[in-house]
Amino acid sequence: MTLIRNEPEFGSRIALTHADSPIGRRLVKSLYHDPRIERIVALGPGPPPSVFDRFLSSDERRLTYSRIDLARHRSMATFFNSSLVKEARIDSLLYVPAHGWPTTQEQPLAGGLASQTAEARLVLKHALELRDLSTLICLGSALVYRLSPGNSNLFNESSELDLAPDASPEVRCWVNADMIFQGEFQNPGLRVVLLRLPSVVGTGGKVYFNPVMATALKSRIRSMGFDPICALVSDKDVVRAMQLALHGNARGAFNIAGFETVPLSVFAEWTGEPSVPVPASLISWASRLATFVGAAPPAAATANPHLHYGFTLDTQRAARELGFEPGYRIAPGPVVEGRFRLESAPI
Amino acid sequence: MTQATDAAILDPSNPHAALQPSLDPPIHARSTRRPKHALGSDPFALDSETQERDPFLEGLALLRQINPVPTVRRPRVESPRPRVPVRPVRDPTRPKERQWIEVPELADVDLPDRTSWVDRLLSDEERRRIAAIAHLAGGDAAYDRFGLSADVVRNTLPIMTALYRIYFRVQSEGHENIPSRGPVIIAGNHAGVLPFDAAMVVTDMLLQCDPPRLGRTVVDRWAGTLPWVNIFYARGGQVIGTRENFSDLLASGQTVVVLPEGMSGAIKPFSERYRLQDFRVGFIEQALAAGVPIVPTAVVGSDDQMPVLFDLSRFAKRLGLPLLPITPTFPWFGPLGLLPYPVSYQIVYGEPLRFYERYGPEDAKDPELLRFLSRQVRRAVQRLIDQQRA
Repeated sequence: MTLIRNEPEFGSRIALTHADSPIGRRLVKSLYHDPRIERIVALGPGPPPSVFDRFLSSDERRLTYSRIDLARHRSMATFFNSSLVKEARIDSLLYVPAHGWPTTQEQPLAGGLASQTAEARLVLKHALELRDLSTLICLGSALVYRLSPGNSNLFNESSELDLAPDASPEVRCWVNADMIFQGEFQNPGLRVVLLRLPSVVGTGGKVYFNPVMATALKSRIRSMGFDPICALVSDKDVVRAMQLALHGNARGAFNIAGFETVPLSVFAEWTGEPSVPVPASLISWASRLATFVGAAPPAAATANPHLHYGFTLDTQRAARELGFEPGYRIAPGPVVEGRFRLESAPI
Repeated sequence: MTQATDAAILDPSNPHAALQPSLDPPIHARSTRRPKHALGSDPFALDSETQERDPFLEGLALLRQINPVPTVRRPRVESPRPRVPVRPVRDPTRPKERQWIEVPELADVDLPDRTSWVDRLLSDEERRRIAAIAHLAGGDAAYDRFGLSADVVRNTLPIMTALYRIYFRVQSEGHENIPSRGPVIIAGNHAGVLPFDAAMVVTDMLLQCDPPRLGRTVVDRWAGTLPWVNIFYARGGQVIGTRENFSDLLASGQTVVVLPEGMSGAIKPFSERYRLQDFRVGFIEQALAAGVPIVPTAVVGSDDQMPVLFDLSRFAKRLGLPLLPITPTFPWFGPLGLLPYPVSYQIVYGEPLRFYERYGPEDAKDPELLRFLSRQVRRAVQRLIDQQRA
């Protein structure tokens, strides 16, 4: 008698939000070459990126791209009730949050909520209603943790969240989304995995998930007399962590971080755009000025403790339960046309 | 009116007799009166004067019959001699699953090239020592997770060495009591307002131990809020004293320097010099949880470096400062008044206290035991100080 392997006949069929964002693009490319993935339904508010052209035009038809607004109830309901979703029989949903700054509390977008919060809520709502869906993998931010004075803040998954009412709009959005997903950690019918990320270094040295670095200014503003430590992770490691979470059985929140922890001033130098120390009392005026000229998002408030204090992440749980170990180092690459460029290289 | 009241009014020796009411107060006024109780008396005791007329008190009496007043337990007075739980002696050879950051011995370290002008100020041995501890600062990375930078340690070493050898003329002994590898807690006394004593202990271990040990001093949370100071502290290896940071340092096999007297030791008046204040217990908890020895360390000289005449703590808190000492030179000479006197330091490392051989991690939650062991460490440090001064 032949021993029959207890494996599904087909691979996973996944849906992926914000596939047009930098992390989403990398994720789609990695998942497309993953033999354990049978079908990918990519979602995004914008047109499909050009890097998807060869996947979309392929005869395999493994990738489908749909253009929807994830923060709108109607478009989300239309998509999840569509024949595309029923035919695809999606069993896993990967939630990649929107890239960029959230809507401020003063300008609510959807139902009185900021766009990120509205997206998280709608994604979870439809994930719970979708019959075939068994796994929800979400990307969150480590900005949710409550910062204490000093640079030596080491956070594990059970560290206190920043629930202060005067938290900056960006932190509040991340905390809201985090808590929305936390509510379903014990759901027996849906495996929810939340990955909390520090500053993500992407292709070409672009930085995401960092309130100070994610500005279009040539120079980054930091508080004079303070140099917060920044934990870094490569976007390739983020994709690896998502794949490990997708194919594993773990559930709950996990801290994901790379090897490097550097001060903000050094990190800014690595990106080729050095930071400018500004007295704390002047930062609010500088921030308003930058907002006025459209260079910085309005969420870059002065009271943001991330301008003063840094943190690092304890990743032992991810190593133990997900099997995640960082596989890429981040450092400034060779000088190209007179500029440094952050690169991540495999270890 | 009762007979007693009449007698008081008619008493010629009572000058206030005419002022006292001659008529009884109206019934409605008495019915709204609440009994006044002396401290410690039964709050439900009835007023003998009004118990027959007051419906409020009658209701209370009825309630008291239904639900008797519970007896109030007095708080247990703690006996002066602590009860020490007796535990069987633990196996000290129990396996430890840790990945320590190893520091090589000096003989195994290649002498690095001189790359900057700072290197010219350092001797060959000092450069070798800096190269040996470079692993602690994240290995290939420039910073560890708390912000320690081997470059900053190297750049500040000439200044610290000058303070160590010329200004404070440090003499030290007992280095054989510091384990050459693995985690250890250095618990010392603290005095002299500014933490030069901790800086000299860290410099001493860096310059005298083989392999060199870089002390990671646990500092108050307030230090993280100070501009520039927080950067210097982080780059030099100081860590904010939270449980997570402490346990992480011990888990990676590092040397943690604690000053358990805290701020009360730094500002104790000159009349109490070399008399230790109460020790905190957090480092005992960490030592038991991680199974780490504690080396009692005495620093003689720091109590004389800046005599504190008065401490204006109450006023300092209004200014957002943890302390505001008045010394013979501060605040009269401004920031220069905070410079310590060039006293001679003597540092002595005592024999390590291995509490983990008797108590396990589960005992780290016993506050009574923690206080008892904390007093043991305090006694050991005080004994070292007394021996050294004698």
